[in-house]
Amino acid sequence: MQYADPNVSRRKFERELAEYRTLGGEYRRRGWFLIEAEFPKVLVALASAKLKPPALVMGVAFDYTNYDAAPPSVRIVDPFTGEPLKHKELPNPLNRALPQQELTLSMPAGGVPGVQKVMLQGAQPYLQAYGPEEIPFLCLAGVREYHEHPAHSGDVWELHRASGAGRLVRLLEIIHRYGIEPIVGMGVQLIPQFNINYGPPPP
Amino acid sequence: MAKEKDGDIDLIIVVNGQPIPIEAHAQEPLHTAAQQALNKSGNSGQPLQNWEMRDGAGNVLDLTRKIGEFHFHDGTKLFLNLKAGVGG
Repeated sequence: MQYADPNVSRRKFERELAEYRTLGGEYRRRGWFLIEAEFPKVLVALASAKLKPPALVMGVAFDYTNYDAAPPSVRIVDPFTGEPLKHKELPNPLNRALPQQELTLSMPAGGVPGVQKVMLQGAQPYLQAYGPEEIPFLCLAGVREYHEHPAHSGDVWELHRASGAGRLVRLLEIIHRYGIEPIVGMGVQLIPQFNINYGPPPP
Repeated sequence: MAKEKDGDIDLIIVVNGQPIPIEAHAQEPLHTAAQQALNKSGNSGQPLQNWEMRDGAGNVLDLTRKIGEFHFHDGTKLFLNLKAGVGG
């Protein structure tokens, strides 16, 4: 429901689009394709230009209803249908690398007594859901679903609003960085199958 | 004629998607141009350390290095975006 002055939200929405279009060529080279933009919604498809042939990896649907009295809603969607993806359908969960942690083992796995140090590299996903069937939300300040989540009641939108945390390009930059840039190539799995080949049956 | 010979370089710093023209000086560190761009765009809500600058190829730029070391041309576009933060 639009409760903020619709003229204000619309003007701010149009500013987002105008700025995007000013640099539209730059963004297209990165693999961003603006598919739909009609207040209050925007749909952008993100492709990996590194791959040959390039792959359309995900769509991102924004809803700028009540902007910027409220932050935009952001969903990862199927770029062809616009349908939100469930967690199990995500191409990737936008992992962010955590700082390396040193783990000290007093008895290494080989069974030889002694002390061994192991470096652990963890990752934290920006896309969060309670289960594989749920539609994940982008766990990031500047996103409506983040600020509406009860776990983030101490980090209100008003703390981020003035810094442009909900701006279209800023959110696309982050999704691109964690969801598209880490793509380095196509993976191929070949599963060999053996069977017996027969010639024509004897008369 | 490019102004690089005078030590001045005209950069376009794109702050959260908003292009801001900046006259930068080769001898100054990049963070001075970044801070100018934040000031001109009215982005005073977050300190500079919460922002990240990248070039057009997506490389993160070290804001402590002198602008001249990057060999930018006039009109080079740099992208200054609010960092993602810890999330989760």
